[in-house]
Amino acid sequence: MITIALSKGRLAEQAIDLLEKAGYDVNAAREKSRKLILEDPKSGLRFILAKPADVPTYVEYGAADIGVVGKDTLLEEGRQLYEVIDLGFGRCRMCVAGPKELEGKLDMIPNKRVGTKYPNITRAYFEGVKNESVEIIKLNGSVELAPLIGLSEVIVDIVESGRTLYENGLEVLETVADISARVVVNRVSMRMKSDEIKPMIDRLREQVAIMNAEGREDK
Amino acid sequence: MGKKFYTPDGFTDILPDDCAYKRTLEGSLRNLFAMNGYQEIETPGVEYCDVYSATGFVKEEDLYKFTDQKGRLLCARYDGTVPAARFAAGIFRDEPLPIRLSYIENMYRFNQMGGGKQSGFTQAGIELLGARGAASDAEVIALAIKSALEIGITDLQVSIGQTEFFDGLARQFNLSDEDKEDIKEAVSCKDSVMIEKKASGLNSEDRQTITMLTECSGTYDTIEQFEGRVTDAKALNALRNIRNILDILDKYGYTRYITVDLGLFGSVDYYTGVIFKCYTYEVGFPIMSGGRYDSMSKVFGRDLEAVGFSMSLTLAITAMMRQGKKLEKSGAGTIVGGKTDLAIATAEKLRAQGFPAILDTTGMNEDELNRYAALKGIETVLYMREGDAE
Repeated sequence: MITIALSKGRLAEQAIDLLEKAGYDVNAAREKSRKLILEDPKSGLRFILAKPADVPTYVEYGAADIGVVGKDTLLEEGRQLYEVIDLGFGRCRMCVAGPKELEGKLDMIPNKRVGTKYPNITRAYFEGVKNESVEIIKLNGSVELAPLIGLSEVIVDIVESGRTLYENGLEVLETVADISARVVVNRVSMRMKSDEIKPMIDRLREQVAIMNAEGREDK
Repeated sequence: MGKKFYTPDGFTDILPDDCAYKRTLEGSLRNLFAMNGYQEIETPGVEYCDVYSATGFVKEEDLYKFTDQKGRLLCARYDGTVPAARFAAGIFRDEPLPIRLSYIENMYRFNQMGGGKQSGFTQAGIELLGARGAASDAEVIALAIKSALEIGITDLQVSIGQTEFFDGLARQFNLSDEDKEDIKEAVSCKDSVMIEKKASGLNSEDRQTITMLTECSGTYDTIEQFEGRVTDAKALNALRNIRNILDILDKYGYTRYITVDLGLFGSVDYYTGVIFKCYTYEVGFPIMSGGRYDSMSKVFGRDLEAVGFSMSLTLAITAMMRQGKKLEKSGAGTIVGGKTDLAIATAEKLRAQGFPAILDTTGMNEDELNRYAALKGIETVLYMREGDAE
């Protein structure tokens, strides 16, 4: 039995579609219910639906063998996992954003306050990459509010189309990292259940290659 | 309302049944280590912080720190290897080599907040100091496998790597220090995307060699795969070292537990040669890990090549419980109550014959004694009356 942890929401649906294309029986996972564990003894797959930020934890501890989760969550959680496939969907960027006036002047503000849902990524970026200390203000949503009402100078957040930023008079100032959905595997499962997991990785990789090829043709 | 008292975050009490089970396993391991000539030591459990910082591999924030009366910084024992290296280089400095040491002790580490990992846990391990070469490496790996089998973990996978292999490969590919670290990190996460990106400066064959590091799954065949691709002397030596280790482990009949994984790196940086991790079902972390650490004891004043391993007994027990292998509860014996002098004599007689006996010291009557025994799962109740024989 392989346990797969999915990030509740759109990412879970896309992951289930992909598994189906790769030839797995995912009927259990499609069941419309409020159940958090969806199991199909026939196909040997068990799905658990978790909050995205918890997926790396489930996988690191081996409660799930495999997980599908955004790179943003992986960076923020910093867990010991194998990160085997870039699924290519759920694409976006982790950015530093702020008012347009700050464009090109970000480095000139000392002791910046940064509002974010991702304190670890923010710290790693400002301290590790930019070599400066910042004051991090942890927020849980609508991060764009912070610079608008003076809680912080800038924010670090996920940017997909940039529309939310734009409508609130903010701009991307710097890119921290490119984000997309990843398949992660527990380090023990990779070895103890390699007979099931390795073929699954191969089949998923094949599907991703096909999808990417189709994507290029579409363009 | 009165104040409530709990154990600190990351620490738990061990209940009697579990404790008895743990002691049994500790006993088996202690015996196994002794049978192989590893002498048990007990280190104080408190070290100067300097001992750990001198080795340069433990993150300061992971240590439980406090001070002595003079304000010097102390820490709780973080692992078994560093104190053993300090011991071998210090108090044992005139001891003939090689030195074989073992320990079964509690370790204390700050783990990620809210991660649910234990901050206090028991490790059993051995260190073979002042011995180089594949024969010593193989002895330690064999003893690790024996330890797992000894306590009842039979579904076992041991991955063996060699830190010098990647060092040699990096030299062969002329990687800068930064690229080397980045690629190492990517390989250790089996992150093919990152490998492609970080190794983009290499030719396609070399890139493929790097990718192959993430896909090792054989034994001799894995070594052969790489032999054709490697020219660096250090890397070739590393492969020869693993080949020799496999040859020796084969004599123990342990080949079936082994996978050669050249993309395996230590979570700590002190390893200088062979490195290995052991996995079983039902726990998400390796239950044992070990390897060669030739440069550590130098910082304590004696240059000793060394190799060792440690098993997390805490994780091993969790694994076995989840695998349904928990030891049968042993019968709780006899409780003796009633007339004091007769009860004492009877209890003492039972104990002398090797049967556990509890003496009632609270003056329970026969009914109370029976009720108590039933609740506690005590098999036999003896209620002594005037005139009863002992």
